[in-house]
Amino acid sequence: MSSLNGSMWIALNALQAQQVGMETSANNVANLNTPGYSRQVPVLEEAPAYVEGNVVVGGGVEVEGIQSLRDNLLDLQISEETQQQGNSQAYVSAMDQVQTLFPDDTMGIGQQISAFFQSVNSLSTDPSDTTLRQGVLTAAQNMASSFNNTATQLTDIRQQLDSQVQQQAQQVNQITQQIATINANLSNAGANTQEYGAFIDQRSELIQQLSGLIDVSQLNNGASLTLTTKQGTALVVGGQSYALSTSLGSDGVQHIFSTQGEDITGEISGGQLGGTLEARDQTVPSLQTQLDSLAGGMVTALNDAQSKGTDMYGNSGTSLSNLFEPITGAGAAADMAVAISDPNLIAASSDGSQGSNGNLANFSAVANTDVSNGMTPSGGYGNLVFQVGTAVNNQTSELDASNAMLQQLTQQQSSISGVSLDQEASNLLLYQHAYQAAAQVITTIDQMFETVLNMGAGA
Amino acid sequence: MISTLQLSNLVLNALETSDESEQGALTQLTSGRRVNADSDDPAAAAQEVNISSQMNDCDQYLRSITSLTSELQTADSSLNSVVTALQQAISLGTEGANGTLSEPDRTSIAQQIKGISQEVFSVANLSYNGTYVFGGTETTQPPYVLDNSAAGGVSYKGNDDVNSVEVAQGESVAVNQPGSQLFSAPDANVFVALDDLTTALESNGTTDDIGDAVTQLRSAYDQLTSARTFYGSTVDQIVGTQVFLDSESVQLAQQQNGTVGIDMDVAVTDLTNAEESRAATVQAASSLQGMTLMDYLANMAR
Repeated sequence: MSSLNGSMWIALNALQAQQVGMETSANNVANLNTPGYSRQVPVLEEAPAYVEGNVVVGGGVEVEGIQSLRDNLLDLQISEETQQQGNSQAYVSAMDQVQTLFPDDTMGIGQQISAFFQSVNSLSTDPSDTTLRQGVLTAAQNMASSFNNTATQLTDIRQQLDSQVQQQAQQVNQITQQIATINANLSNAGANTQEYGAFIDQRSELIQQLSGLIDVSQLNNGASLTLTTKQGTALVVGGQSYALSTSLGSDGVQHIFSTQGEDITGEISGGQLGGTLEARDQTVPSLQTQLDSLAGGMVTALNDAQSKGTDMYGNSGTSLSNLFEPITGAGAAADMAVAISDPNLIAASSDGSQGSNGNLANFSAVANTDVSNGMTPSGGYGNLVFQVGTAVNNQTSELDASNAMLQQLTQQQSSISGVSLDQEASNLLLYQHAYQAAAQVITTIDQMFETVLNMGAGA
Repeated sequence: MISTLQLSNLVLNALETSDESEQGALTQLTSGRRVNADSDDPAAAAQEVNISSQMNDCDQYLRSITSLTSELQTADSSLNSVVTALQQAISLGTEGANGTLSEPDRTSIAQQIKGISQEVFSVANLSYNGTYVFGGTETTQPPYVLDNSAAGGVSYKGNDDVNSVEVAQGESVAVNQPGSQLFSAPDANVFVALDDLTTALESNGTTDDIGDAVTQLRSAYDQLTSARTFYGSTVDQIVGTQVFLDSESVQLAQQQNGTVGIDMDVAVTDLTNAEESRAATVQAASSLQGMTLMDYLANMAR
């Protein structure tokens, strides 16, 4: 015979189980807008049956625990895509600044180069005219300062990127430390508890943040989670985090070192750090080198043209002044400067007479001469514009693709882990009704107890 | 199951996308350019560097042509007055060679020839904007000076050099004719011929002497008129170049517009599309409000 006590026990467990269900739904609704929160569901199980005499009676319901709904594979995909997105975003925002330095029409180096050659053409119509000579000098100075400004601003941008690298490395360290702390907490929390789920949620959110900063590989997903960079530098191993450090390298920029003291600057390929490093260490230096080559090439070619003529004082050959300070190689663009202030020192004459413009043809010819890597002055500048534009354009396309991909993945994740108010409302109704039913069972059993007790009293 | 957050994210993303394309279309419309940053179209931006440099070059060539044309025309019209004066000298000389003329008549003709010589001398030292036009490339001092020791009493201080100016990409023109080609060519020196004629007239020489002097003057005149055609033909040439450059400018402007300019129809359509898509999204979002089961239950409870 089954006992009333047993039934009472089953009904009580049912009350508890529905209560847990209500609580879970309430928690889900409360966390509707919490970033990284995954929907929780109570894990209900049939309680083991027991045998009374020759009858097997069901044992009611048991709450096994509370489970967070998440798709680990999706989390990994999101992490990968976030690394790509962070990389492109940091690169594009750095290069957006750079590309304003290389305008395609007004202002800028291209315009000044063109203006210089126009001033030379103007002087050729009246080579002894002081105003026109001054015009050439002014145009040369404008051209030099446009090179100076662009070079200086490139250096400034590189320095900004350098301090960003430091900040981003510090952010990485903060996050890896938080993740290690959560790992330690996780090993103490039992699986399928609300606490456990909350920790996992927090940690996933932190891993996504970390992925936005640096390339990350994950091993395991429990309390013993290991995070490394793609190249295998440890960031977090279980409850232990490994901080990155930065220090000034011999090349004048901050290098990133692993806890073991290994220089991993060149290995970081993802996240904002990867994008910032790519702009700082590859794109900007390459532009600087080409700008220097262009400036140096023009200085050499124009000084060469100057050396072939005669100035207004009859100086020729070695007694002539340089038109530009003779600078080539690294820093040529930043240091480009006109060497003379007296317009009569321009060697326009080819036959020694003051009215000759024969040597100006040599100046004009520089416009069509190879001055830098097989390119003319204007062609070389056009190439820089093309390179900068292409770099930004390509990475912007990648950024758009990453954004679209991430939107899609996040939607997918959201449909698994996100909270739906409709669903929670219907769950609440279910739990409420089940609770009411279980309470009704208890009331009924209570009445039966009374009947039994009254049986004795009546006799 | 579609989560509640997912719905609002969808709306947000859609709004962001249409905002971005609306902003892009607006930037294009306000700037009139399709390429507002190098990255909008790197190849077009690089081409634009080239086109705008060519356009500026065109403008410069046109300015140079304008200033050259006026200098060349000044020289040409001055030489024209020399031609007229020399024609007069030749007919005076021919008249002087007439055997019936008296000595005072010849002296008076000689005086007129001297006057013509002075007129030619002053044109030969023509200066334009402070530079002497007929001294070759010696333009900072008068090319002809009075010099009693020289043949004809005038010596040439200029040189035989010619300046060239680029008036279009790859097209250079010579812009001066040295005085040594115009007035003081070795066997056709205007000053020597005029001086010889004056001497022959003043010394009451034979009609043959005077006739020889006139012949000499004729050949100097021929040299000058043939050398002078340089100015007319150069002006013709650069005026032709000017016409070419004007059409080149128009063509470059069209090319520039095609490269970086906007297609007005496309930009306006883009803007309209973006605005419409934004409005539609907002409409959809507003109809999503108050539609969860939760809200329905709450209303029931009231």
